[in-house]
Amino acid sequence: MTRLALLLCALALPGLASAADYTVQSAGSTLAFHGNFQGSGFDGHFEKFDAAIAYDAAHLEASKFDVTVDLASARTGDNDRDTALPGSDFFDVAQFPKAHFVTTAFHRNGNTVTADGNLTLHGVTKPVSLTVDFKPTTAGATLDVKGALKRLEFGVGGGDYADTSVIADEVIVTAHLNLIAK
Amino acid sequence: MSLRSTDRQWGSVAKFFHWIMALAVLVNGVWGLLMTDMTPSMSKISVYAWHKSIGLTVLALFALRLVWRAFDRRPKDEPGPRWQQVAAHAVHGVLYLMIVALPLTGWWFNSLRGFPLQYFKLFNLPAIAGKNEELAHLAHEAHELLFWALLLVLVAHVGAALKHHVFDNDNVLRRMLPFGRPRN
Repeated sequence: MTRLALLLCALALPGLASAADYTVQSAGSTLAFHGNFQGSGFDGHFEKFDAAIAYDAAHLEASKFDVTVDLASARTGDNDRDTALPGSDFFDVAQFPKAHFVTTAFHRNGNTVTADGNLTLHGVTKPVSLTVDFKPTTAGATLDVKGALKRLEFGVGGGDYADTSVIADEVIVTAHLNLIAK
Repeated sequence: MSLRSTDRQWGSVAKFFHWIMALAVLVNGVWGLLMTDMTPSMSKISVYAWHKSIGLTVLALFALRLVWRAFDRRPKDEPGPRWQQVAAHAVHGVLYLMIVALPLTGWWFNSLRGFPLQYFKLFNLPAIAGKNEELAHLAHEAHELLFWALLLVLVAHVGAALKHHVFDNDNVLRRMLPFGRPRN
């Protein structure tokens, strides 16, 4: 019986391959963005976000990122901008308090892994791709992702603020996550 | 009218610098006093961007004006009491200092607040100071007070020019008027 059980387990394992689940250690983890205003780049970050990360480099199909961002927690180091961002002209947090990103597929191209996903921001859902740099550590892993999105596709900064000669359309999003194995 | 100044009247280049800068400083000053009351909007961003660009233009024109002045000759002082000639030159010196100090305090304030400085959407200029909100308040006061002080000095400058023109009927203003010709 034991032999049979072991055999069944051995047969079942590859089919049940699941990516390792990780929790994000808030210390040292950042979710940042980089925009451009009047020809000058600026950096911002979100103080509050939740990320559920499942990742296995050998089983990308079983990997998944699910990230929820508290948009009211955007900080850019400038009072005027930090007041404007949650307002109705930009994120409109009164109506859309959260942004949500969830992966749909992972691809490997040489040494580069790309995560495709859907980003829901300001009530609009669009595909966004991220490059993935996953490094196992003794306690878990570090995960660095980077992607670009066009703010106007999501209606962030519409009306007069749609003028891309003042506020660039493209925003670079990066995250550095310290992960601990569950 | 020649490009260069003569013994009796200012040349067209000196006149150009004088009047274009007078217009730019006054318009930008009044514009600057009004714009701070605007509610935050894209229009406010644009109005500030214009204010900064015009201010930088004044600074650039001032540099060119100094260079031109170094090569140009200068009309001789019109006949008059010595104290008036000294006072006139002193007022000119103070105006020159203010014309430089106005854009520079603006640039300083802009830097202390950490705002970008873009010239007519063409290129960006660096900050001349690190971000410092407390000092920014002081710089803003200085920037605004300088304009009020400039208006006071202008009262003397314009008042004296008009006094010479209307009451003394001499060439002091006429030699600087865009199409003016000195009388004999």
